Amino acid sequence: LDLKALPRPLDGDVEPNSLAEIFPLNCHSRYLRLSTSAIPNSSSLVSRWHLPLGAVVCPLAEAPEGEEVPIVNFASTGIIRCRRCRTYVNPYVTFTDAGRKWRCNICSLLNDVPGDYFAQLDATGRRIDIDQRPELTQGSVEFVAPTEYMVRPPMPPLYFFLIDVSISAIRSGMIEVVAQTIKSCLDELPGFPRTQIGFITFDSTIHFYNMKSSLTQPQMVVVSDLDDIFVPLPDDLLVNLSESRSVVETFLDCLPTMFQDNVNVESAFGPALKAAFMVMSRLGGKLLIFQNTLPSLGIGRLKLRGDDLRVYGTDKEHALRIPEDPFYKQMAADLTKFQIGVNVYAFSEKYTDIASIGTLAKYTGGQVYYYPSFQATNQGEKLRHELLRDLTRETAWEAVMRVRCGKGIRFTSYHGNFMLRSTDLLALPAVDCDKAYAMQLSLEETLLTTQTVYFQVALLYTASCGERRIRVHTLAAPVVADLSEMYRQADTGAIVSLFSRLAIEKTLSHKLEDARNSVQLRIVKALKEYRNLYAVQHRLGGRMIYPESLKYLPLYGLALCKSTPIRGGYADAYLDERCAAGYTMMALPVKKLLKLLYPSLIRVDEYLLKPSGQVDELKNIMKRLPLAAESLDYRGLYICDDGFRFIIWFGRMLSPDIAMNLLGPDFAAELSKVTLSEQDNEMSRKLVKVVKKLRENDPSYYQICYLVRQGEQPREGYLLLSNLVEDQIGGTNGYVDWLTQIHRQVQQNA
Amino acid sequence: MAEFMDLEAQDGVRMAWNVVPGTKQEGSNCVVPISAIYTPIKHYPNLPVLPYAPLRCRTCRSILNPFSIVDFAAKIWICPFCFQRNHFPPHYASISDDNLPAELFPQYTTIEYESLGDKSSLPLPPVFMFVVDTCIIEEEMSYLKSALSQAIDLLPDNSLVGLITFGTLVHVHELGFAQIPKTYVFKGSKDVSKDQLLDQLNFFLNKPKPTAGVIAGARDGLSSDTIARFLLPASDCEFALNSVLEELQKDPWPIPPDQRATRCTGTALSIAANLLGACVPGSGARIMAFVGGPSTDGPAAIVSKNLSEPIRSHKDLDKDSAPHYHKAVKFYDTLSKQLVHQGHVLDLFACALDQVGVAELKVAVEKTGGLVVLAESFGHSVFKDSLRRVFHSEDYDLGLCSNGIFEINCSKDIKVQGIIGPCASLEKKGPLCSDTVVGQGNTSAWKMCGLDKATTLCLIFEIVKKDIPDATIQSTSNQFYFQFLTYYQHNSGQMRLRVTTLSRRWVAGPGSIQDLISGFDQEAAAVVMARLVSFKMEIEAEFDPIRWLDKALIHICSRFGDYQKDSPSSFSLSPRFSIFPQFIFHLRRSQFVQVFNNSPDETAYFRMILNRENVTNSVVMIQPSLISYSFHSGPEPALLDVAAIAADRILLLDSYFTVVIFHGATIAQWRKAGYHNQPEHQAFAQLLQAPRDDADAIMKERFPVPRLVICDQHGSQARFLLAKLNPSATYNSDARIPGGDIIFTDDVSFEVFLDHLQRLAVQ
Ligand SMILES: [Zn+2]
Ligand SMILES: [Zn+2]
Repeated sequence: LDLKALPRPLDGDVEPNSLAEIFPLNCHSRYLRLSTSAIPNSSSLVSRWHLPLGAVVCPLAEAPEGEEVPIVNFASTGIIRCRRCRTYVNPYVTFTDAGRKWRCNICSLLNDVPGDYFAQLDATGRRIDIDQRPELTQGSVEFVAPTEYMVRPPMPPLYFFLIDVSISAIRSGMIEVVAQTIKSCLDELPGFPRTQIGFITFDSTIHFYNMKSSLTQPQMVVVSDLDDIFVPLPDDLLVNLSESRSVVETFLDCLPTMFQDNVNVESAFGPALKAAFMVMSRLGGKLLIFQNTLPSLGIGRLKLRGDDLRVYGTDKEHALRIPEDPFYKQMAADLTKFQIGVNVYAFSEKYTDIASIGTLAKYTGGQVYYYPSFQATNQGEKLRHELLRDLTRETAWEAVMRVRCGKGIRFTSYHGNFMLRSTDLLALPAVDCDKAYAMQLSLEETLLTTQTVYFQVALLYTASCGERRIRVHTLAAPVVADLSEMYRQADTGAIVSLFSRLAIEKTLSHKLEDARNSVQLRIVKALKEYRNLYAVQHRLGGRMIYPESLKYLPLYGLALCKSTPIRGGYADAYLDERCAAGYTMMALPVKKLLKLLYPSLIRVDEYLLKPSGQVDELKNIMKRLPLAAESLDYRGLYICDDGFRFIIWFGRMLSPDIAMNLLGPDFAAELSKVTLSEQDNEMSRKLVKVVKKLRENDPSYYQICYLVRQGEQPREGYLLLSNLVEDQIGGTNGYVDWLTQIHRQVQQNA
Repeated sequence: MAEFMDLEAQDGVRMAWNVVPGTKQEGSNCVVPISAIYTPIKHYPNLPVLPYAPLRCRTCRSILNPFSIVDFAAKIWICPFCFQRNHFPPHYASISDDNLPAELFPQYTTIEYESLGDKSSLPLPPVFMFVVDTCIIEEEMSYLKSALSQAIDLLPDNSLVGLITFGTLVHVHELGFAQIPKTYVFKGSKDVSKDQLLDQLNFFLNKPKPTAGVIAGARDGLSSDTIARFLLPASDCEFALNSVLEELQKDPWPIPPDQRATRCTGTALSIAANLLGACVPGSGARIMAFVGGPSTDGPAAIVSKNLSEPIRSHKDLDKDSAPHYHKAVKFYDTLSKQLVHQGHVLDLFACALDQVGVAELKVAVEKTGGLVVLAESFGHSVFKDSLRRVFHSEDYDLGLCSNGIFEINCSKDIKVQGIIGPCASLEKKGPLCSDTVVGQGNTSAWKMCGLDKATTLCLIFEIVKKDIPDATIQSTSNQFYFQFLTYYQHNSGQMRLRVTTLSRRWVAGPGSIQDLISGFDQEAAAVVMARLVSFKMEIEAEFDPIRWLDKALIHICSRFGDYQKDSPSSFSLSPRFSIFPQFIFHLRRSQFVQVFNNSPDETAYFRMILNRENVTNSVVMIQPSLISYSFHSGPEPALLDVAAIAADRILLLDSYFTVVIFHGATIAQWRKAGYHNQPEHQAFAQLLQAPRDDADAIMKERFPVPRLVICDQHGSQARFLLAKLNPSATYNSDARIPGGDIIFTDDVSFEVFLDHLQRLAVQ
């Protein structure tokens, strides 16, 4: 094997486009990707595929300007749906009977066209008004829902903050950043003038805030009876932001100093959560939890259980990665039921049982932000940006999502952060553009007779403006009888997304090793199957063969096995970090996930030395390098970007000029103590610009720059070297060993 | 009577019998018990305050006094109570006939000591815990807020202040929290123990909870920083307190139209008591409760939330059909014990058109010596002016003191049955205690958590001597001695001891009647009977007050009257007794006995005031005073009779709780015509002004400030006067007085009453 010639995804995620060519009316792949665009026509074919058969859906993916999803208001006509299977009208329905009937593309039922929707057909059978009908020409469309789609008036956007103010929270400086950030974006919260806001803080007691608009300052009301939590005011704990604006601002101004002398080390997190739930339950909304101390009092108190290394490698190992107390799952169920989505921001420097607390985000469609050992001085900026995005990104409220598909196939399992309300209905109290969901398909019948199958994603939600809407994505895919076609049409990105989610789920009931083995095994089986397809026709000998579409799969598989949630054992990742990464990866859209697994490594020193002025320069340096130590020149300066942080690596022999220009007087200091800031020289300005550009490409998280000098151990090890997935580090495989191993297994009994 | 007033002016004491019946039998024949009405810390302009500790008898612990016999040569004094010979200590060495220490001056039978032991301790600051009802309408809320903020302005700078507000929930305000208003909140329906309270108020955050012992104050386990979160010097928290008051909201919980507000007065008071008990035990502190309606939730509800259930009336109490009453009373009884133990006072300001539960709260207010004010509204002058008086320390200072202990010593043939008045028995049993108990008894020491210069106790004694063993002892030296000791925290913060020592002659055997008559203080006796009959009505089931009073009066009249048997017309009474029947007549008709005309809250209120007032004021409550103003003569007392009304007169009625200025019809006409504004009618202006000035003088001195009613003959407000007048002319009597008024009542007139009395007394 020639290491240099091995396939590497140096251009990132390349989406297959063959499907879009066949079905140009399909929704864009940013919303929906199938693990293979060739749907097998029989279950026997499915069983030979070995890879996950399914889809990754990102219903609210951000669209570039000009490609926004059109909004359609049927008004009095009502939304046109199939009478039998409830499919929404879409580009694949066909009109017959001079335009009086339409045939459902999913179940084939002939439906009447309502009078208001009637249009004549032209000679080719197309409606004459087709140009004015986005729902008939575009794969993604958003319908304005009439009142039948509401069980209550659409809720206002609602942000509720539950903030830990125990001593460790105070000392970390978290509260100041949170308060300032919230205050800074009050104007940008979606939904003005209906937006609602409220706060609870807690330590060993629970602090409510009366924000009645007529007050000159908020009033703090403390409930300490943890066994009998009650809401101390009938109103005004949740207020209309525009009415109570000045009280809210006063509160946010006071918040950091209010608790500066607090010496409370306890956390009544569980009771505080119940309190927040009681306040919010009337309306629902988004609950942002800022948590710093392991819950120590009242219901939901948690134990320090993460540091018992004796359970690793035993059958009990997985128990550490699932919630200890059923309280958290039960709360999550209750929260979802009342349309409350939870985002957890965790900051502790000690074990804080993310496994348990993250459950709240998992089952309410939220996410976990983890800032271990947070200090405002080093991670403040990250928190500021991520909180800002969380608060200001467009959010869909009180949502449910269902994916319909043609006769004979059906989705059987769903993977991600949500609560399954019925067999195929995902409850998503608050959902946004950064959330993706994976699901697996199975065939209901042994043989599909149609040529094409259709998929339709429908997200029913309340927009921040107060409108109830249904976002519909429709996609058609060919049915095939040929396994090799399935392989040819495979989408590695979607497959890796499914793989990751399945592997993370497996760690919740099995050992880490088992999760890794099953990834490897499936890759082996798939490649073996593929090899068998050709073994008869060609003399393959010892050559390794794989379909072009799956050429990166083994490498991503390796990267997955080295990713934080799955890698190694006890010592290879802190339990909280592992669990947090697991919760995060479960929700990531394809592109972000692939980048996390195989970060981009770029060299920047040459660019910095070049005279500036050329616009294209920046593009050139974005050339990605293989993730191997060999890529690193000890005279160079590199940035490793996994989408969550930037590691800036200073080669040992990097010109001192560059170091001095970039770091100023700190250039010789230990880099763990140095933060990157703009110096007054061209070189520094260029680097800052590069960093800024990289961040702009990837706004869903904020990447802090970690500086590391070659040889600075162990820092270099855990920051960078462990990210060089092609290398053999510790007991893990390098890319070559991994491929060799897979190849050997593929050939066994071939 | 004047001589009794003089005694009162010297010692603050009025006794029904100033010559004491000498045996048990004779004592009970006197009907009105041997009793003293004593104002422990009455204000005297020239009261000597001695800067040293008192000398005590080494046997009975009574204090050296002018009745002690001193042997100057031997430097010995003999205790008049136990006859123990005590040596003077060395610093009394220079004592001689003409170098007496003040406590031996014959005129200093009442004296005060200031230096009591621990000199190093700083003066204790007074503590005020405001407990404020928020279940009131906005209008009342704004009245209450402005009254409170005025009160806060008047607080002494060094006093410590706390605030609790309540409605559906109880809010304990952390006034020491600087940034924003902060409260700890408690469910009104749930009783919170002291330990739970301290835990929930985060008292043990800086300083771990002591594992054993009672948590009490900064010395015993609480950090003073933590205490200072809830109790702040007035000077430091005035701003915080005012801003909290400014934004204090009416209880925000919705009230269904068929329900009363949820109000948890009992829980709020219990939390206040627990907080003070933990923070400032044993030092003078007052819970000042401002209540605007009935308690409907928690352990001391007096009525359910359901509006269809009326608040208990006297009839309900009589029939024992007031379902909440006993439970609530029991709750407040327990609370009163806690407060007494802690030395803290409960003051009650009840302002509502409806009842709020004064009847249930009475036990806690009275046993702690608290103030009570009952008014219709927080906007009413009765409340506003009274509250101002509590804090206003100029001419008419109430002289609020705290943390008192009252003790007595008596000659050995006298026992104490108890005290009717604002105090609590300390259960200090001894030879002095009688087996029969009246009021707070079974003790020779009482706690007076709150006391002021008006606080007046009624002590009931009993003579235990069976007979006179040696008739020869019957001489002028037959004296009983009484010593009253009052330790208290003066409003300067220092502890003081007031000592009053009394001597009264006793008589026994035949021929002693004239002596007894000469010592009879009929005003004091009437007041004792009033307190006694009120007390009995409260504790004795099936008690018939009218019968009891009538029997007592008849008994007294037949024993002390002058008559021939069976000849009513021959009946006469000595001047010492002459107006006693009239007092009893009015007592029978008073609010203390005719309770059915009032609500249980009003009755409780009247009785609490009766039980803490001196003789002069109590007499006004029993028999209002009436002064007549006219052009014909200067102001003169008028008979409390409907006959006093005349068109050309102004009457000033003082019934203690209400002061009425009543303009006769002609006067009213002239006034409406504005004659008093015309220079030629200056005399009329003066006539109008005179009763106003006199009323002002009454109002200024009185607490609670009385209600002032200014009314005209035939006006609707005139009922305030008519209700108090003797119905000599009623609609069913023939005797119509020209120009007078007729009272619509079936009550017997005083003449009829007196006829009956004479008839029965001579039988
Ligand atoms: Zn259909
Ligand atoms: Zn003695």
